[in-house]
Amino acid sequence: MSDPHKDPDFLDLLAAWHENKDLSPSRKLALLERLEKDENLRMELAREIEMAGLTRAAQAGEPRWLELEEKLGSSAAIPLDFEREIMDRLEEKSGNSQPTSIFSFPNLVWIGLAAALAFAFINPFFQKQPESGVAKLIRLEGNHAFSSEKRILHKDEDFEIKEGLVEMAFNETGVHLIGTGPLNMTLLGNNRIFLNQGEVKLVVPPQGIGFVVDTLERKFVDLGTSFVVQASTSGSKVLVLDGEIAVGNRNDRGSRLMSKGSSADFDRNGSVSLRAAWPSGVPELPLPSMAVSEKSLTGKIFGIREGAFSAPAEKEALSKQSVVRQFLPLIRSGFKKSARFKTFAQGRPLRFAGIAGTYDHFPLRNSLAPYSVERGWMTWYSGEAKPLTSGRYRFWGYADNHLLVAIDRQPVFEGSRYTSPFRDELKVPRKNHPLFPCLNAKAGFASGRWFEVGEEPVRIDLLFGETSMTMTSGLLLIERDGAEYEKTYWGQPKWPLFLTEFPDEKQLVELEELRIHMEEKIMGSFSLSENSVWSVFSGS
Amino acid sequence: MASVSDNFDPDPIVRQVLKGNKDHFRLIVREYGLLVRGYLAARVYHLEDAEDLAQDAFLVAFSKLSTYEIGTNFRAWLLTIAKFQLTNHWRKTSRRSNAMDRFRHDIAEAIQPELKKASDELDQERIGNLLGCIAKLPDRTRHLIRAGLDGVRMETLAEELNLKPNALYQLRHRAHQALRKCIEEESPAPVA
Repeated sequence: MSDPHKDPDFLDLLAAWHENKDLSPSRKLALLERLEKDENLRMELAREIEMAGLTRAAQAGEPRWLELEEKLGSSAAIPLDFEREIMDRLEEKSGNSQPTSIFSFPNLVWIGLAAALAFAFINPFFQKQPESGVAKLIRLEGNHAFSSEKRILHKDEDFEIKEGLVEMAFNETGVHLIGTGPLNMTLLGNNRIFLNQGEVKLVVPPQGIGFVVDTLERKFVDLGTSFVVQASTSGSKVLVLDGEIAVGNRNDRGSRLMSKGSSADFDRNGSVSLRAAWPSGVPELPLPSMAVSEKSLTGKIFGIREGAFSAPAEKEALSKQSVVRQFLPLIRSGFKKSARFKTFAQGRPLRFAGIAGTYDHFPLRNSLAPYSVERGWMTWYSGEAKPLTSGRYRFWGYADNHLLVAIDRQPVFEGSRYTSPFRDELKVPRKNHPLFPCLNAKAGFASGRWFEVGEEPVRIDLLFGETSMTMTSGLLLIERDGAEYEKTYWGQPKWPLFLTEFPDEKQLVELEELRIHMEEKIMGSFSLSENSVWSVFSGS
Repeated sequence: MASVSDNFDPDPIVRQVLKGNKDHFRLIVREYGLLVRGYLAARVYHLEDAEDLAQDAFLVAFSKLSTYEIGTNFRAWLLTIAKFQLTNHWRKTSRRSNAMDRFRHDIAEAIQPELKKASDELDQERIGNLLGCIAKLPDRTRHLIRAGLDGVRMETLAEELNLKPNALYQLRHRAHQALRKCIEEESPAPVA
């Protein structure tokens, strides 16, 4: 076998092995005969299978083998690797070979110091760090003993604030850290900190990949991302805002990868609670009242009628038949060519109530049935509206899958997922903001171009929908140029939710719950303001 | 989860466990966990089954530890137990297996000696480097390596990455080759 990559037999064997690819009996027989004759093929396949198994196991993370744990009885219930690591280091010095519990230390601060000491031995970076400062203090707020005059932080330096906020940048790696008091950490180098207590958010640029946050329970290795680590006496927590991190035991072994939206708790008894985020990271709100009034921006939800295409479709064909693609000519025509939608499945008339949260049940709750679920759905709101204050505006937001807003028939904002044809084919100018939290879009929160709105109403066309099946979510906010917005702790301005009617009391409560959830779980936010509500002059 | 580390000698730990310090068996589990789990994950389609079998293997190893002869090859002894668990699993599931399961089983039978050789080829003292090596893969390749674990099917991934399924198998094969090389090197280079 000269080149396995080009050998169709090899590729079919891989497909059968990895994916249970269905092959005809004669093909299977032929493959087995080839295997029997070709030693090189057997060896290449075996190597591939072994490596695939190992990568699966390595990435799956540490299993919880309850039966085995029960058999072995209750252990010291501590992270063994960490204890062993520290004890090994201490034993090397003391000559004491009897293991003892880490909790026999007078207090946990001791452990932090021991950990720092241990990492000084094992971390090659540590030994290579220059003696000059490793980080620069950018901002320090609150009352504390630490001098704000001290702008340079050095290797091995313990940094502690009891309250307030600190912002610092690490030399060379460019890692940006924001921490809140009470905070107690040790700067182990340009690319490593030990977090004893407190909460830090890190934004790691490409040159900082590999930055490590150690806590007593785990170490978190950045793989190009933004993430939050919290350490307290009860354990540590991590939330991945963007990108990916490796979470490992303290001995550089047994890591698992965590990706955007995942969070995990590690308690001091060694137990781990991993939580994948919702696909959207936000809950689905109950449907607000759909009673349309003259003040409502109205719309419709569309789907492909069942049976409109011969089934079953191949994936590629299915993608071409998806409802979103049927909207491309409409957008290109300036929202004029709408005749084709008469033949589409349609739900009941919609009243625009903002785009915020998850929309998995939205089509069925709006009577879009029957429709071809695998070909997705699309809502189209349109009408004339204007803001309370004239000026320059721009939209912010994201959607999984499709979100597009046009003003006076020209797209001004496209905040769709990367797979959306809105994004690929329309090329609406957008700016991605990966530092702002956004669980669904790798590119992060998106903003559109500025547009001017004067005294006259403008025509708004708003499209929001799903490619296929469910798992739909979105958020659409509006910013007025020159307006001041409160910022979240993480620095995101709380732009108002784009609305054309101010929510009723019940909906306000629900939106408030969504906002709190977003702030707590995904570090994102929005605001609600009567002043930012646009007035509608005519519906679609 | 762990890998077999440099100069790890299981015999003193085995003695401790046999003396009644059964807690020390956790060190065995930690050191050989990835080895056993990887061995089984390579041979069983569902990762959950592999994890269960790995636990069973360690349970058997714990209960039969007195039969291990100090000074011999602990790794080989442990993998023999894992292989026994695997054979049992195949026997139990053969009745309800479908045609594709049976085909996979036929493949595994056909390449049994090569699988052992491939397993032996991996430098066991270095497989702990694996995650670090995965992290060095380019984003797209790392996503591909990760995707199977997340239950993403190749067809879906192919669509997402705009590649044909065969191209994905090729890419994954190349990534595995690179990973194998990487874990054996001190300072692995990023994979192109």
